[in-house]
Amino acid sequence: MTVATEISERLLELPEASSVALRLRTDQYFDAIQGMLDLFASKKDLDVIYVTSTVPSQSIINALEVLEIPLDHIWFVDCISQIMMSSSKRHPHSIGVESPTMLENIMLKVEFLMRKRAGRKALIVLDSINSLAIHNNTKILSEFLHILVNNLRAREAYTVIFSMQEYESDEIRNMLVLVSDETIELGEEAAA
Amino acid sequence: MAAPVFSLPILVAVISYRTRRDGRAELEMPAKEREILGERERCPTGIDGLDHILNGGIPRGNTVLVTGSVGTGKTSICVEFLVRGAVTGETSLYLSVTEPTAKLLKNVIPFDFFDERLLKQGKLHFIDLPVLYEKLGIENVEFDVGEIKLLVDGIAEIVEERTIKRFVLDSMTSVSYRLKDPEKIREFLLRLATALSAKGCTSLLVSEVSTSGENDGHGGGIEEAIADGVIVTGNLERRGDLLRTLQVVKMRGTSHSRAKYVLDLTTGGVLLVPLLKGGSIPGGG
Repeated sequence: MTVATEISERLLELPEASSVALRLRTDQYFDAIQGMLDLFASKKDLDVIYVTSTVPSQSIINALEVLEIPLDHIWFVDCISQIMMSSSKRHPHSIGVESPTMLENIMLKVEFLMRKRAGRKALIVLDSINSLAIHNNTKILSEFLHILVNNLRAREAYTVIFSMQEYESDEIRNMLVLVSDETIELGEEAAA
Repeated sequence: MAAPVFSLPILVAVISYRTRRDGRAELEMPAKEREILGERERCPTGIDGLDHILNGGIPRGNTVLVTGSVGTGKTSICVEFLVRGAVTGETSLYLSVTEPTAKLLKNVIPFDFFDERLLKQGKLHFIDLPVLYEKLGIENVEFDVGEIKLLVDGIAEIVEERTIKRFVLDSMTSVSYRLKDPEKIREFLLRLATALSAKGCTSLLVSEVSTSGENDGHGGGIEEAIADGVIVTGNLERRGDLLRTLQVVKMRGTSHSRAKYVLDLTTGGVLLVPLLKGGSIPGGG
């Protein structure tokens, strides 16, 4: 079973409004994105709000185009392009947050996009807890996750939080346990 | 390792969060249940976050000061309050001193919820205060007591004639410049608040505060003491980031949150989320 298929199938097993910590290795990164956005979100007819603080949204958009994944139902909250002073041109499906330290503004942009698509079920991807932890301390990050995840749960949205296994600390693992209903570790079955 | 600490207001905000099918927040208590409990009728601002903070909206008939420095969202809050009211059938009036109507309308049109027909249907009115001064024959740079009465009566007449239920004066500070004396500011505010409240009109008065937080000596303290409510907008600098904030520090006739919230001005209206507390303590973020 490929990584993309595995993640899609495991997410499909979960009830609606689930909050999931997705623990993956960096080499599984793009396969995981494909599994979530192409297989899982398409099957469930979900709108996707992809919060990226790891790589600029344009890099993910480029990868999705290569994989021929349509962007019609995918929107980005880009927390990294502005701070990197990269191209001012932005894809129409991407809105910016000045810096990954502006956690409240991430919540506000997610809220804005949710309202724009009121009545549609949504999947919110947080990519990733590790890159957010570079810019924020554990206390404020825990608070942010707790509010965001509960808010999204109340709106019956799926939340998937990426965590790169190579960069995890005990603090990050504890944080994920606190806010997630389920932890998915890719390749578990194969390893077993 | 220490476990993450969550403050009670945040937990309450999270637990009590509910949404309607259209994605907008559900108000906490229907109007009928309020009446049974003897609570005052509310005038929902239409800004979900603010209505949540106020337990359903501004108590109807209250005069509320919206105070803050430039660029913090005061005018947007006021415009949304009026447009949302007009959409629900409450006739609304914006009395502008600082910006001519035509310029103001350019800022209103991008709102998703704004419908130009509200103007044609007479549900939403914009009047330039200098035009009203001219109509009332008020020419003096500094108002005397007679002119204060004339101005308040003039506003009350418009409110009566057009059955205005929501009123905004933008800004109180500009009027205060022509009142000078704190006694006159007090007189004007008391007369205006009484006249509007008697007509069941809920009002927002915009008050400018300099970026240093000073009111330039034009009656800020008096305004805040007399008003039924005070909503403070501001800028919060945290590690080089500048966040727009909102805090309701006073609102007669309702219990309300006094916490600070972060706001965003969007085409969908003013959005609010709680300010993360970890960022407000030394080394907290």
